[in-house]
Amino acid sequence: MDFFIQLFTNPIGFYNQHELLIAQIGINAILAISIFVTFYSGQLTLANAGFMAIGAYTTVIMSLYLPTPLPLDMLIGAVLAALIGFLVGLPVLRLRGVFLAIATIGFVEALRLGVILNVPITGEGQGLKNPSADPLGGIVPILASLPVLAYLVWRLTQSRLGQAWSAIREDELAASSNGINVPVYKMIAFVIGALIAGYAGALETHINFFVDPTEYGIGRTIQILTFAVVGGTTNVLGPIVGAVFLTALPEIVRGFAAYRDVVNGIILILVIIFRPQGIVGRGGLAFIRPRWWTRWRAPERPASAH
Amino acid sequence: MHAVDDVSLEIEEGAIIGLIGPNGAGKTTLVNLVTGYLRSQAGSIRLVSSGGTIELARRPPHAIAGFGIARTFQTLRLYRNLTAMENVMIGMHPRRRDDTLQRLIPLAPLLRDEDKRLEEASNLLQRVGLDPDRDGDRRASTLSYGDQRRLEVARALALHPKLLILDEPAAGMNPAEKDRVRALIQQLNAGGLTVLLIDHDMRLVMGVCQRIAVLNFGRKIAEGSPATVSDDPAVITAYLGSQAQKSAAHVPGSEEMDIVGEKAPLATTEPAMPLLEVKDLAVAYGAIQAVRGVSFGVAKGEIVALIGANGAGKSTILNTLSGLLRPRAGVARFAELDLTTAPPDRIVRQGLVQVPEGREILARLTIRENLELGAWARRDVRAAHREIEGLMEQFPILGQRRDLPAGQLSGGEQQILAIARGLLARPRLLLLDEPSLGLAPQMVDTVFEVIQRIHNEGVTILLVEQNALRALEIADRAYVVETGRILLSGTGSALRRNPEVQKAYLGG
Amino acid sequence: MTQQILNAIFIGSIYALFAVGYTLVFGVLDVLNLAHSAVFMLGAVITYSLVALHGLPFLLAAIIAVFVCGLLGLLIEFVALRPLRRRNAPPISALISTIGLALIFVAIVEQATPGTLFGWLWQDGANSVRFPSGSVPNPTYHVGGLTIEGTKLGILITSVVLMLVLGYVIRYTQVGRALRAVAENRRAAALLGINVDRIFASTLFVSSALGGLAGLLFGLAVSDISPYIGRDQVELKGLAVIVLGGMGSIPGAVLGGYLLGLIEVLAFVRFGSNVEAGVAFAALFLVLIVRPQGLFGARLRERL
Repeated sequence: MDFFIQLFTNPIGFYNQHELLIAQIGINAILAISIFVTFYSGQLTLANAGFMAIGAYTTVIMSLYLPTPLPLDMLIGAVLAALIGFLVGLPVLRLRGVFLAIATIGFVEALRLGVILNVPITGEGQGLKNPSADPLGGIVPILASLPVLAYLVWRLTQSRLGQAWSAIREDELAASSNGINVPVYKMIAFVIGALIAGYAGALETHINFFVDPTEYGIGRTIQILTFAVVGGTTNVLGPIVGAVFLTALPEIVRGFAAYRDVVNGIILILVIIFRPQGIVGRGGLAFIRPRWWTRWRAPERPASAH
Repeated sequence: MHAVDDVSLEIEEGAIIGLIGPNGAGKTTLVNLVTGYLRSQAGSIRLVSSGGTIELARRPPHAIAGFGIARTFQTLRLYRNLTAMENVMIGMHPRRRDDTLQRLIPLAPLLRDEDKRLEEASNLLQRVGLDPDRDGDRRASTLSYGDQRRLEVARALALHPKLLILDEPAAGMNPAEKDRVRALIQQLNAGGLTVLLIDHDMRLVMGVCQRIAVLNFGRKIAEGSPATVSDDPAVITAYLGSQAQKSAAHVPGSEEMDIVGEKAPLATTEPAMPLLEVKDLAVAYGAIQAVRGVSFGVAKGEIVALIGANGAGKSTILNTLSGLLRPRAGVARFAELDLTTAPPDRIVRQGLVQVPEGREILARLTIRENLELGAWARRDVRAAHREIEGLMEQFPILGQRRDLPAGQLSGGEQQILAIARGLLARPRLLLLDEPSLGLAPQMVDTVFEVIQRIHNEGVTILLVEQNALRALEIADRAYVVETGRILLSGTGSALRRNPEVQKAYLGG
Repeated sequence: MTQQILNAIFIGSIYALFAVGYTLVFGVLDVLNLAHSAVFMLGAVITYSLVALHGLPFLLAAIIAVFVCGLLGLLIEFVALRPLRRRNAPPISALISTIGLALIFVAIVEQATPGTLFGWLWQDGANSVRFPSGSVPNPTYHVGGLTIEGTKLGILITSVVLMLVLGYVIRYTQVGRALRAVAENRRAAALLGINVDRIFASTLFVSSALGGLAGLLFGLAVSDISPYIGRDQVELKGLAVIVLGGMGSIPGAVLGGYLLGLIEVLAFVRFGSNVEAGVAFAALFLVLIVRPQGLFGARLRERL
């Protein structure tokens, strides 16, 4: 409880003491936004950790070997992530539901095990040292980017594009009949998600002296998924709230820090059973309805199936 | 097997064309081909306009929508968690300029555009008979069934289409609502909209269409004005019932009916000690009140029929009796068992067995395995095996192909398998849900023969059927169900002669 | 080379056992049970604990561990799956709740050190251990220039026997038919008087028992038992296998398991150990793109 007391009575002191935590919360919130975009369009993609890795490694490698300014490195990292997102999305986005999830998981692990751990320039299993990291200064871009990104993504959801995403999320087939080019819009969501995740990866390296390949595996993506589930996915605030809550939780409840994953797991189960729409959300995750789903549920309309 | 085989159809601008045919005839498949959800293997689909001719085949659905062809779905596909207004506004998508980048910063002109769209959406809701103030901001899934159907039409209209394809827009509606649908279609057509209408309700289709095409087993078997089509013998055989019986139905008390046989019913009124007793049963799916207070009974040894249109609630009643659904109110008792709380497997063990609509055969299991599962609820394995052998002899169709996957049987053969499977559970009461659905006329004859046979052997039957004619011929007593309520009840023969029933359900 | 092929067969047997459990649940319940890999890990951990910490003979420990894993399957059903079914939740919710359980299982073992809450179960925290030497009978046979360890032979025999038994039950018994019925059409099965809930619980029990068995066999074959063997070694490979073989197909899972074992060994021989891990995922990716239904899966179409 002194955590909160300090937060409200001595914000400056709080900031100074918990800088790293705040930076991490910021990064996680941005990552949460990256998964929000794909969720909002009805896609369960779990590739964010992979795009993070691309953003992170590109940035650090460029800063180590090229004389380019750091912001450019980060930008290129993010753009490269988006580009790879496009290439990966081409074959993969035709898949639906669980299959899409599995394919994206496959991508992340293939990237980590196949590429990162085998290509010398990434430092392979040892990771990369990042001497140009700036843990204190690095917070500023994070805290500055977060509201901007949140705002931009929010505006997107309010636009014609966002409307199309909502339609796709609710019912892809009906969306087609309303003139929505479903594959294109899905790709746009996927690429934007990759861009933001790549950017988050780049930001994160800026506050760490070390780039660690184990950070970018399936565990990370599941963590990001948890933010979205617990926070709610109907508007952009949800995953952000989830990220803040779950990242700060071990700090608030110090005694359980070691068992953080146990707590996360319990929260996840409780939320998905008792409040599937998350802390913030209204409709929640009710978008993934693969074919077999409709058979057991009693038909939603009295007309008999022909 | 061809779902759609060599079908040619022309729809002129400004016309209202009807497309009818029995279930499985290929109507919705045809629509799916036109709107780009299915790929044709041969043939062309052309849109002819003042600007030229456009080939539509093999284009994706969103492109076809872009050409001004809007549709509704037989299975009703609304954006359930979005509001009614949002649903309609998404329909405007192809017409709306892409202002996504501008929208990143909300400015006045954009807000004005938004207001215009809201106003148009509101008008569209009113046009289809919805109240924008009351329902506009409600989630689509909370609307009543009829309102949801209307909403889907409004959403399709938001495209400002040149051609509107309506796939069973009036399914599940009562006659008053259907009249409103008819009026709406006529209104829209008067404004220049071309309409293609698919529906099962003959009154609706004949009443509003200028020309009607009839499909059966994927082929077009007739086309012409409503009068021509309803008198076409091929159509009558395929769709409305066999020749002799249709004309018989038109003449109350005619001699022909006696040829069919006046059945002496076991009871003319409600049974005193029913095997199955249902009182004031009410069942809902979310906001949709599918069954609104239904009461009836079945006595031992009877065949009782529930007839009524598609979506009237008949299947819902059966599913509630089998324990797959729970009612909101009411009583359903089978001998001593309370059906409203018992688990489905217990209900089957007690002897209430359903042969479901669409047969629900386990296609990947063999015929023999399907039958063996029919005896799942029984303890006496050896007797069950003997009965299985007996059934396979009794129905050579099954016996001959016992080791083939059940999915390879034709519809009629599957129906017989389903009934045989149901019998193996030693039912005290057998529920048959639409046994003749989607079957060719000869198979319908066979199936009803089988039903009569097993009834003669003493099985009590509750039969749900859209094919009112056959059901009333075979039933001791029957109830007419419409929009979740029981409208009429009586003996099979009495109802067959009832002019209301004839008009509504027996064709014409 | 032949020695390597033998290894491929042994490791393939383990993959196959694991994948069969996975695909059984997917086929019958339409749920991807992501806690399966955690149960795999617990199979190894529990056996190790019984042998190394509590001194039980290996065979007895193995049997107990497998049974306990079956019970864990019931836990998964009652805690993570049934409440969602009762609430008509979409399938993705089950995915997530099983992820939650997996998190819990792994974390419990990861944090278990002497003196902590779960110190009776495991005392090595995040480290990797192996069965104490001598605790597992392991005669070696030399046949025509090949060295065959008794344990690996035992693994092969156990796996094959189990898969044959499972295959028999599913094809020729009434219970197996009921399982297939539920997998194909839940509603029709219910109307036949099959207690669908009970079938789910049984399926989860069997599937988790198989998963736990695969885990302890893995720990035995590879001499590696840690909280992470589920997640790192087998979870994604299991996914690759069932996608390869076709989701819901048991013969597919078996075939896929051996195929993956073979591919991995060949990749190892040709390219070295680094690429080996990525191979499974490359295969997964390829299959999903070229033939998403796998070797034996059915095409899935949606009704309009």
